[in-house]
Amino acid sequence: MSDPRYSAEVRRLFAATPGAGAPADPAGWCSGEAHEPISGTHVRLHFRVTGATIAEARWEVRGCPHTIAAAALATATLRGQPVESPRLEIATIVTTLAVPPEKLGRLFVIEDAVRAAALHCRAGSA
Amino acid sequence: MSGTFLYFDEAATTAVDPRVATAMAECLAAPPGNPSATHAAGRAARERVERARAEVATLIGASDPQAIVFTSGATESDNLAVLGAARGAAERGRHVVVPRTEHRAVLDACARLEREGWRVTYVRPDRDGLVAPDAIVAALRPDTTLVATMLVNNEIGVVQDVAAIGRVCRERGILFHVDAAQAAGRVPIDVEAIGADLLALSAHKIHGPAGVGALYVRRSPRPALVPLQFGGGQEGGLRSGTVPVHQVVGMGEAYRLAREALHEEPARLAGLRDALWRRLSTLDGVHLNGHPSQRAPHLLNVSFEGVDGESLLLDLEDVAVASGAACSSATREPSYVLRALGRDDALAQASLRFGMGRFTTTAQVADVAQRVARAVGRLRAVAPARVVPGVSTRPVPTPAGSGPGGGR
Repeated sequence: MSDPRYSAEVRRLFAATPGAGAPADPAGWCSGEAHEPISGTHVRLHFRVTGATIAEARWEVRGCPHTIAAAALATATLRGQPVESPRLEIATIVTTLAVPPEKLGRLFVIEDAVRAAALHCRAGSA
Repeated sequence: MSGTFLYFDEAATTAVDPRVATAMAECLAAPPGNPSATHAAGRAARERVERARAEVATLIGASDPQAIVFTSGATESDNLAVLGAARGAAERGRHVVVPRTEHRAVLDACARLEREGWRVTYVRPDRDGLVAPDAIVAALRPDTTLVATMLVNNEIGVVQDVAAIGRVCRERGILFHVDAAQAAGRVPIDVEAIGADLLALSAHKIHGPAGVGALYVRRSPRPALVPLQFGGGQEGGLRSGTVPVHQVVGMGEAYRLAREALHEEPARLAGLRDALWRRLSTLDGVHLNGHPSQRAPHLLNVSFEGVDGESLLLDLEDVAVASGAACSSATREPSYVLRALGRDDALAQASLRFGMGRFTTTAQVADVAQRVARAVGRLRAVAPARVVPGVSTRPVPTPAGSGPGGGR
């Protein structure tokens, strides 16, 4: 009997981990990370920016299955967004993955990492 | 997630041995009889109960089977021991000493005593999970009436030197309770040599049925215990309620089988445990929790750096294994036992407790080790690089306030 805490989409993304891992060649990429010490969640995001747009995004996560799935989903939605103001649709992620309320804080760690990576990209291009 | 389902949670509960199930089924099929009744059917039931009582007494080296009080399980036994003994000795003092790593059945009973006005000293174990007898001695006060220590820790499997603690208690006239739920059938128990006044036992931890346990209560000198439930005065007045004969028979049979296997089974289990550790320790960033040698044969507790415990459990969904992860505990907190050992939250979260039993095989050990290695490898591959001591890592530039520690 499978654990009912994890939706089918969480299971799919947790198993497939699309977009996981640091870029093989870091040249041209910028990164940002965030850490939440109580749960031990650690999120690192990598963006490759073309012009003013996030052309590629990758993720690294030490965290629970919801955080891993959310990072995979988030990076997919970040591609094509302006690096000046990338938006992480927390509500969409919560709905898509059926994230329980007690895990919302983990999504904010991803949001912090998005900000950090975007800031790094902007600082690098300044 | 692959392969057949593997059961490695034998410290939580074990499969009922078919011989136990047969004995219980025969009992259930027999004519009814309340062991408290004086007619023939009652006497027949009582005879079954007394045979089981004798088996339990024999396994723990109790010379008088009447020292065994049947209960609903080790939790009730611990509750009866701690609450009953403390309340029974309330006129002499209201101070209790327990290690921080005791089972919740003892700790929560102590918390109850605190609400009733008792003082409790929670002794910190060393980094290996052992509580030095000197640490217990240092915690004693003139008004201490009870010390409670488990023989085998249910999370990390360390074996405490309860005999040394028992001697101290005996010298000072302090009651000594031992939780032996994890120990029975796995390590030899001589309740007289331990010097225990009280000793809690379970059936389902050693291939007996759940719902039955026992409390050893020394016959002479007999500690004054205040019972927790009242009614028919069964079990020497300490545990009122009709004795569930088939459950007790199952416990007796489980203890008989454990006694018969005691010369071989612990060594076989220790071999499995050591084989599992040899395989897991080939991974880097792996920590054995608990003392490396002073440990029970059926338990292995390991922490894995660089992975999240909850994700590890999902990756190992086809393996029944316990974890120190908050998500796997009723309290939603990382293991308090591992934290008491000084493990940080991350390592406490990323721990697995492997429990092995009578039906665990060498092939299953190899299989579970392979699955764990695969899961740990997969999760580490998607996690930010771990900082390895002595190896410099290139920091990822992060703006002030957004780096590690900056998250909510």
